[in-house]
Amino acid sequence: MTVDKPAAIDVLLVEDSPGDVRLTLEAFRIINDTVRLHVAVDGVDAMAFLRRDGTYAEAPRPDIILLDLNLPRMDGREVLAQLKADPSLKVIPTVILTTSEAQADIVNSYQLQANCYLNKPMQLDAFETLVRGINDFWLSTVKLPRPAGGSA
Amino acid sequence: MTVAGDHRPTRGASVRKAAEAHLAQMEGRYRGLLEAAPDAMVVVNSSGDIVLVNVQTEKRFGYRRDELLGQAVKAIIPEGFAERLIADGERTASEALAQQIGTGIELVGRRKDGGEFPIELMLSPLESVDGILVTAAIRDISVRRAAEAHLAQMESRYRGLLEAAPDAMVVVNPAGEIVLLNLQAEKQFGYSRDELLGQPVTNLIPEGFAERLVADKLRSAEDALAQWIGAGIELIARRKDGGEFPIELMLSPLESAEGVLVTAAIRDISRRRAADADLRHKVEELNRSNDELGHFAYVASHDLQEPLRMVASYLQLISRRYKGKLDSDADEFIDFAVDGATRMQRLIQDLLTYSRVGTTGQDMVDTSSEKALQQALTNLRGAIEERRAVVTHGPLPVVMADETQLIQLFQNLIGNAIKYQGPGVPRIHVSATRGSDKTWLFAVKDNGLGIAPEYFERIFGMFQRLHKREEFTGTGIGLAICKRIVERHGGSIFVESEPGQGSTFQFSLAGSRRK
Repeated sequence: MTVDKPAAIDVLLVEDSPGDVRLTLEAFRIINDTVRLHVAVDGVDAMAFLRRDGTYAEAPRPDIILLDLNLPRMDGREVLAQLKADPSLKVIPTVILTTSEAQADIVNSYQLQANCYLNKPMQLDAFETLVRGINDFWLSTVKLPRPAGGSA
Repeated sequence: MTVAGDHRPTRGASVRKAAEAHLAQMEGRYRGLLEAAPDAMVVVNSSGDIVLVNVQTEKRFGYRRDELLGQAVKAIIPEGFAERLIADGERTASEALAQQIGTGIELVGRRKDGGEFPIELMLSPLESVDGILVTAAIRDISVRRAAEAHLAQMESRYRGLLEAAPDAMVVVNPAGEIVLLNLQAEKQFGYSRDELLGQPVTNLIPEGFAERLVADKLRSAEDALAQWIGAGIELIARRKDGGEFPIELMLSPLESAEGVLVTAAIRDISRRRAADADLRHKVEELNRSNDELGHFAYVASHDLQEPLRMVASYLQLISRRYKGKLDSDADEFIDFAVDGATRMQRLIQDLLTYSRVGTTGQDMVDTSSEKALQQALTNLRGAIEERRAVVTHGPLPVVMADETQLIQLFQNLIGNAIKYQGPGVPRIHVSATRGSDKTWLFAVKDNGLGIAPEYFERIFGMFQRLHKREEFTGTGIGLAICKRIVERHGGSIFVESEPGQGSTFQFSLAGSRRK
C-alpha cells in the first residue's frame, strides 16, 4: 500500500530542553527525513507560531504538535487550552510528550482534548521507538483534515 | 398509801380518800404501762427518791424491787440525774426538769454489783398527788457505744491511711460537705485544714463531683453514687488562689456514724495531661516529617530522572554512533559511562517505587493473589525465558491487598529467586497456607544460592547487597520495597534459608473479609 508522499511534513515541537529537541530531531532524521521540525521554546512562542504573529508571519500550519507540559512563561496546559478553544487550530492533532506521570496531568490533558498523552522514555532506544510510533500512526496512518482554503 | 411530808391544809377526809383512790387507780394503770416498756423505767419524786420501778429495771441493775423503792436514785445513776431534778440558786425544780424533758441524756448506770454501763435517759413528768414525779426511761446503750467507739477507732485509723496516701484525699458527707482531708489535700489546694472542714466540696471541685452525690429524678443518692464508685472521673479542680488544674477522681464509700461518706482520691493529672499533649504533638510532628520525607524522596528521585535521562540518552547516542570509530580506550570509557548511567537510572527507579509504596498506595480490596502472581510472571517473562526458570504454584487465595503492590511484591521476590542462582535450572514454588486469625502465610521457595543466617534481617534494609556488582546487578532496594509493601498491608516478611540449599521468603497478608 502506498500513501501519497507529501513534499514535507511540518511538526511543531514545543519543548524548552535543547537536549530533548536534539533527540527528537535525531530520531526523525532516522525515521522520516521528510519531517520538518519546528521548535517553540515556550507556550508564548508556540502560540505566536500557530497564530503567525510577528516573526512567524510565514510559519506553516503544522501537521501535528508535540507539546511538553512544563514550560516557562506559558505552560503546555495553557497552550492546549488555548489552541483547543480556537476553531482553526483545534483540528491539529496534539500529542502531549512529557516526563510527568501525574494522574492529574493525564486526566486534565484528555479533558482539554489532547489527542494522546505520552511519557518521555528513559532510554534512547525506547525514545526512538516512541517517535517511530508517532510517525507511523499520526503522520502515516491517520487521515487528517486538509487545512481549509485561505490559510495558504 | 402514805405520802410523807404532806403538809397541805386539811381537807375533807372523803375528798382525800377519793383522791387517793384515784391515784391508786392511776398508779395501777401506770404500772401496767411501765411493765410493758422495753426499757428500764424508774419513777422518781422531786427529792430524787425512787417511787416506782419495772421489772426491766430489776434485771438491768441487779436489784430486787424492794431494794430500790424509797432509795435515792443516785444508787443506780450516780451522777447527772438527781441533780437535774433539784432546784439550784437560779432555777426552780420544775424549770430544771423542763429543760431536760424529751431529750436523750447520756449518763452512766451502776448495777448492784458495782458494774457500770452507759445509759440513755429519757425523762417525762407525771403529775401526782405527791407533786411532780419524773418517769425516766433508761436505755442500755452499751452496744451502741461500742459500735460508736469502733467507728471512731475506724475513723482514726482511716485518717492514718488518708495521710499515708500519695493523693489528695477528701471525705465528703451526703450533703457535699468536707468532713475529713489529708495533708496532700491541704497542699494541693492551698488551704489549711480549718478552711476546708465543713465547707462545701464545690469550693475545691466546682463541677461534676457534688452532683454525683445527689439523687435526681431517676436515681436515688445511693444509685447516683454507685455509678461512680471506682471509676476514674476527669474533672477540673480549683486552688485557693483560683488557679485550676485537671484531676482524676476516684470515689469510694465509707460507712460511718454520720451515714455513708464518700472518700475522694484526687490526683493532679496536669503532668499526665501535658505528657499526653506532648506525645500527641510529637506523633503529629513525626507523621508530618515522615510525609515530608516521603514527598522529598519522591520529588528528588523524580527530578533526578530528568538530567539523568539526558546523560543516558546522549551516552547511548555517542555509543551507537562512534563505537569502533574512536580508539579502544574511548570505547571502554563510553561503556563505563553508559553502565554508570544505566545503574543510576535503575537506582532512581527503585527509589521512586519505594517511596510510592507509601505515597501512592491504593485501598486494600479483595484481590486474587493468583491473578497478581500471573501478572508478575508476565512482567518477568524476559528473565524467566532467559534463565529457563520453572515457576510453579499451589492454590492461592483471595486476600485484602493493593493489587499493584501485590504484583510488585511477587515480582521482586520471584525476580530475586531467578537472579540469585547457580548454573542450574531455577525452580521456584509459590504457596499459601492459612495462618491464625484469617491471615494467609505465603511462601516463595527457591533452589538458589541461599542466605547465611546473619543476613536474614539485613537483607530487608535499604541498599543492602550481599554480592559484588560483577556477580549480580541490583540496587539493594528490592527487598526493602517488599518489606514496605507487606508492612503497609499489616503483615510481616521474613526469610528461612541455608547457604546452598535455597531460600524461602514468607510473608503474611490478611484474608478476604467476605464469607
